[in-house]
Amino acid sequence: MRSLSPALASLANVFRIPMSLTPVRPAVSRVCHETLSRQSAPTTAAVQTAPFSSTSTLAKRKGGGPQVDKRITLIRYFLYHPLTPRPLRFSRNRFLRHWTIHRAWQLFQAQQRKKQELELQRQYQSMQAACEELRTGAGDGGKLFRVSMNKKGVFTDLFPIEYARFQTESPAAEGWNYEWKRPEKKY
Amino acid sequence: MAHCERASKPLLQCLRSNYSRSLAGVQRHGFHSTAVAADEKAPAESTSEPFYKSPDPSLVSSPRLERQLMRGGVNPIGSRRRRAALQGSSNLPFEELPYQCFQEARKILQADREEKLADIQKMEVRIANVEATPTEQMGEQAKKSKLPAMRIHLDKLKILADINDPLVKRKFEDGQGKGFDVSSFHATGINICDFATGDMSKPIYQYLADQKWREYRRKILVQRITQMKVIPDVLAKCDPVVDTRLYFGKHQIQPGEFVTAKTTTVPPKLDVQLFERGEKLVTIAVVDPDVPNVETDNFDYRTHFLAVNVPVSATATKVDLSQLSADSQVVLPWLPPVAQKGSPYHRLSLFILEQDGSKPLDFTAVKASETDRDAIRLRTLQRQYQLKAIGAHLFRTLWDDTTQEVMEQLGFEGADMELRRKKVEPLPYKRRNPSSFR
Repeated sequence: MRSLSPALASLANVFRIPMSLTPVRPAVSRVCHETLSRQSAPTTAAVQTAPFSSTSTLAKRKGGGPQVDKRITLIRYFLYHPLTPRPLRFSRNRFLRHWTIHRAWQLFQAQQRKKQELELQRQYQSMQAACEELRTGAGDGGKLFRVSMNKKGVFTDLFPIEYARFQTESPAAEGWNYEWKRPEKKY
Repeated sequence: MAHCERASKPLLQCLRSNYSRSLAGVQRHGFHSTAVAADEKAPAESTSEPFYKSPDPSLVSSPRLERQLMRGGVNPIGSRRRRAALQGSSNLPFEELPYQCFQEARKILQADREEKLADIQKMEVRIANVEATPTEQMGEQAKKSKLPAMRIHLDKLKILADINDPLVKRKFEDGQGKGFDVSSFHATGINICDFATGDMSKPIYQYLADQKWREYRRKILVQRITQMKVIPDVLAKCDPVVDTRLYFGKHQIQPGEFVTAKTTTVPPKLDVQLFERGEKLVTIAVVDPDVPNVETDNFDYRTHFLAVNVPVSATATKVDLSQLSADSQVVLPWLPPVAQKGSPYHRLSLFILEQDGSKPLDFTAVKASETDRDAIRLRTLQRQYQLKAIGAHLFRTLWDDTTQEVMEQLGFEGADMELRRKKVEPLPYKRRNPSSFR
């Protein structure tokens, strides 16, 4: 079983072929747990003896204890495991094409954003100009403008909860409820 | 494996026949084009000549023909695999490669570029208009504030017009990759660093080179000069904006490297890369803030080199400290730095200081006033002549095997002396056997 190639093992894994002792890469959590439990003993069990030293006694002693960082061990394990896919490599021309397309896409998005922003700005300004015209040009001393700016009867803070409906793919089974009346507010 | 081979055999045969058929045409085409590029009279005979008589070094793939070429003194170009692949390809230029998404992307980029070019033209007209307007009409202050801003905007537009071009990127990488790669540099010497000659006059390449420099080399430099405390010791602050390389002979010195005394007997060469338009006049100073002074139990400054009015620009980057003119630039000639035995390492800091408004300093006056190497302070110079530090470099020296020899050559006074650290009396409570214990 040990001699099985990793590719075959991965295929077996994909096709759910039960294998004992498969060399498939074990789960991350298990390996981490094992490595940590194996290696954490000397490093974390070292009790600080000197009052102002953060160096453990074992590390301080000359040549004492293997200086292994378990995080690096784990990174190396998973990075160089045969089942880890190889990094994405492009030839030079292909990378340049990829870069060109990426830049164009970024540029296109930026142009779109700018267009939207300008459109919003235009709309806002045109609304403002209309209001100004109403205020000064209507000839009624701005009365119409003041009335139109009155927010009474408009939901300024929140919508009433009865208006809320779950967004569904299809209309409701009973359709529109024509009988519904807004409940009276009790002030 | 056997299955695989058997299955692919017809395919391979098919490919092979195709390949040989296409080979003839393409090779003729390839040869034709290169011949035209090389000399004008060749193509008439070359079309009639078969490929094996005069193989093309960029297309030849069979070992026999390769050997034949190499006997003639021509090395085939690239790998055999690449050459074989090129035979079957129509060898299109990069921007015409028939990938749909790529071509669509190029269309977008080209449209943007044309827009930017129109903007540039508009901006140039506007700048010309502002320049032509008389000062009384728009006010001196307005003109003064407006014109530089418009020029900066124009420079930005020029960069933006070119920054999305893959060919510009490729050219930059080709031209610059060699210059920045340290390993290849060591193999071939200093000439490889002539990367900047043609391109660096254009704002886009200046911009790209600046970005690349700021990505890594500038960070290293700033870290070295701050960690080794050159910055508060020699000058109060320095914001490097020019890329400075330092060479002793053919060896590039990384910032903070230890250099042997023998190497430093000749003045170094500098490569000062400016990333903006125009020429600047700079002052170059090499200061050692670590000269031990036994009397005061302290360290002194010594200026090992001082030159004023050195012109640098984006294209003219080379400054050889030994080649500067002695009667108009060099105030204090190069003094080889030596570290006495037992003294802590000397930081030889090199500063490139921009002169105010790139106006030349009065050389004779400077030469008359700055004569004592040990009395000069760079801070004082900076204040006196309105200098601004735009570049820095640093190397270190320590006593080594060659120092004695160099000291003898120089006639250095303390050559036979060794410095020792003072014995520090331990504090009473740290004494092993204090008198109070007895």
